[in-house]
Amino acid sequence: MSTARLVQHSIRTMARYKLRTGFMMLGSLVGVTALTLVVSVGQAFEGKMTTMFSRIFGDSAIVISDGGGRMMGGPHGPGIRLKIDDIEALAKELPGIQGWDPEQQLSGVDLKHGAATDSAAGIQGDSERFAQVWGRGLTEGEYFDTTAVRGSARVALIGETVAKELYPNQDPIGADLEIGSVPFRVIGVLEPWGTNPHGMDQDNFVVVPITTLMRRLTNVDTISTAKLIMSDPTQASQLSGGIRQILRQRHALDTGQPDDFTILTPIDAQKEIGSIKKVLFLYLPLVAGIFLVVGGFVAASLMLVSVNERVGEIGLRRAVGAQPGDIRLQFLIETAATTLAGGLAGVALGYLGARLGANKMHLQNILVWNAAFLGIAASTLTGLLAGLVPALRAARLNPADALR
Amino acid sequence: MIELRSIGKTYVRPTGETVRALVDVSFRIDRGEFIAIVGTSGSGKSTMMNILGLLDQPSVGSYLLDGRDVAGLRVNDQARVRNKKVGFVFQTFHLLPRTSALENVELPLLYSDRTSIKGLGRQALEAVKLADRIHHRPSELSGGQQQRVAIARALVNEPDLLLADEPTGNLDSRSAMEIMAIFQALHRAGRTVVLVTHDREIAAHCNRIARIEAGRIVSDELVAQPKDALKYTPQEAR
Repeated sequence: MSTARLVQHSIRTMARYKLRTGFMMLGSLVGVTALTLVVSVGQAFEGKMTTMFSRIFGDSAIVISDGGGRMMGGPHGPGIRLKIDDIEALAKELPGIQGWDPEQQLSGVDLKHGAATDSAAGIQGDSERFAQVWGRGLTEGEYFDTTAVRGSARVALIGETVAKELYPNQDPIGADLEIGSVPFRVIGVLEPWGTNPHGMDQDNFVVVPITTLMRRLTNVDTISTAKLIMSDPTQASQLSGGIRQILRQRHALDTGQPDDFTILTPIDAQKEIGSIKKVLFLYLPLVAGIFLVVGGFVAASLMLVSVNERVGEIGLRRAVGAQPGDIRLQFLIETAATTLAGGLAGVALGYLGARLGANKMHLQNILVWNAAFLGIAASTLTGLLAGLVPALRAARLNPADALR
Repeated sequence: MIELRSIGKTYVRPTGETVRALVDVSFRIDRGEFIAIVGTSGSGKSTMMNILGLLDQPSVGSYLLDGRDVAGLRVNDQARVRNKKVGFVFQTFHLLPRTSALENVELPLLYSDRTSIKGLGRQALEAVKLADRIHHRPSELSGGQQQRVAIARALVNEPDLLLADEPTGNLDSRSAMEIMAIFQALHRAGRTVVLVTHDREIAAHCNRIARIEAGRIVSDELVAQPKDALKYTPQEAR
């Protein structure tokens, strides 16, 4: 008996029963599509996430944001009370704070230069310590200084996207920029950072002195975020405790009241990455796995029905010389080849889906090989397990009874 | 070629009842014979056929095939013997549906240890005059044609022994004679053919008739003048 011949023969047999084969494929198709999609997008997403977190935190930053008990980027709660004074007080009272930068944001304001408009840009106010604290370099020009911040100067650092959209044919340094209807002067171009995991273009940004943003562009006296650089990262949790105490005191919160600010240390950030990873690489694949298991049971029961239908065929095969092992192998191959085919289609479909999703989320470098390998292995395994019981049953049939 | 020595076969039905399907059967078939085993249903003729074809094992006794005792062989060895030495023809044809005549005929080759199987299936189909139906599926063939495909399948591996179980049972009399003519031709070409039937008319085309009743051979005689299947409907059987 030649195994290669039997493999060919089994696959041809499955091809003859298209409807049944199609239903058997469905489970592994859906499961592997989901698996490929989730794993490949997840990997790219995780990479992006890690880069973003390391940009924000490095290994020695604490981020304080207004509003209590919310995730980064979540909606603001009531009572936004974080002010520059608060952060200044922290820096004075607590040891081990090397530098700090308050930040406030503004969006929905058009940028204009001559006839060109950029309405999707975000506007961000920072202190003169922006470069030191955030570590974002300039490709040309210079940062604004203490004098500019103190005097609420109308100067701006622009991102690459803004530079391209508003100053396509000229050097933006020294050029005019209208934010809303307030005239500014461009003094620097920020190094490109690409998109963040939410798909936001981090180069479609303008940075102005925070005082200018607070007084000339809006009228607020609060900040949305502050980033603190610690001189000793191992002291993060003590420092975070000190910050909390001082801020609660300054905000006059009673013991029962929740915090109206959020403190994120690198450890918290790691935890957050960890929980996102858990969703990406545990829960979502688990759902895909459930599809595969359900698909496996469907394949197994269809195969059992098929064995019952094909008793005569099994008897005949035995009569013309098939050994029980040949029968067993045939049914295993039939099931595994079918789910594998579903799996291969799933890998293709999942890859297409991942490409689409990645485009939407501005992810690059989708790593599909792990996912593809996983999908193919999982669907084959599903088929082998699903085929086991039917194959054993088929091989156990007594040829004389089967032919009756 | 075939020698059964004191073969007995006892079944236990699921109801607990014991059935003695064959009782002390001793029997010889020589190479080149064309023999009919005749009996009513329940007489033990199917059991006899299953034991001759190594599809079932006798409870007692020994079965010598070409001088070798095959009754006690292990399952896999029996499968090998069936593949090499026995060709089966069944009442219900047992062709794989949705599968071409050629692929059906080639089925025994799938399980053989031959290295080259090219052309054998086609030759076998030509031998039963179905060269023009090679790619037809069973549903596209008449009953007689389907049985001819089954005979080609039984012959493809060049077995010593052809076992036919009521091969004409599902056919009209014209197709039945067509099939009997093929068996007679195979017999003339020197093949050993064992035909199990309840039909005396069919049995009359064989050269020897053994009658089985209640699990025992009750008569066994040569036929002086076997009927010629070609004479029944000469234009069809050619």
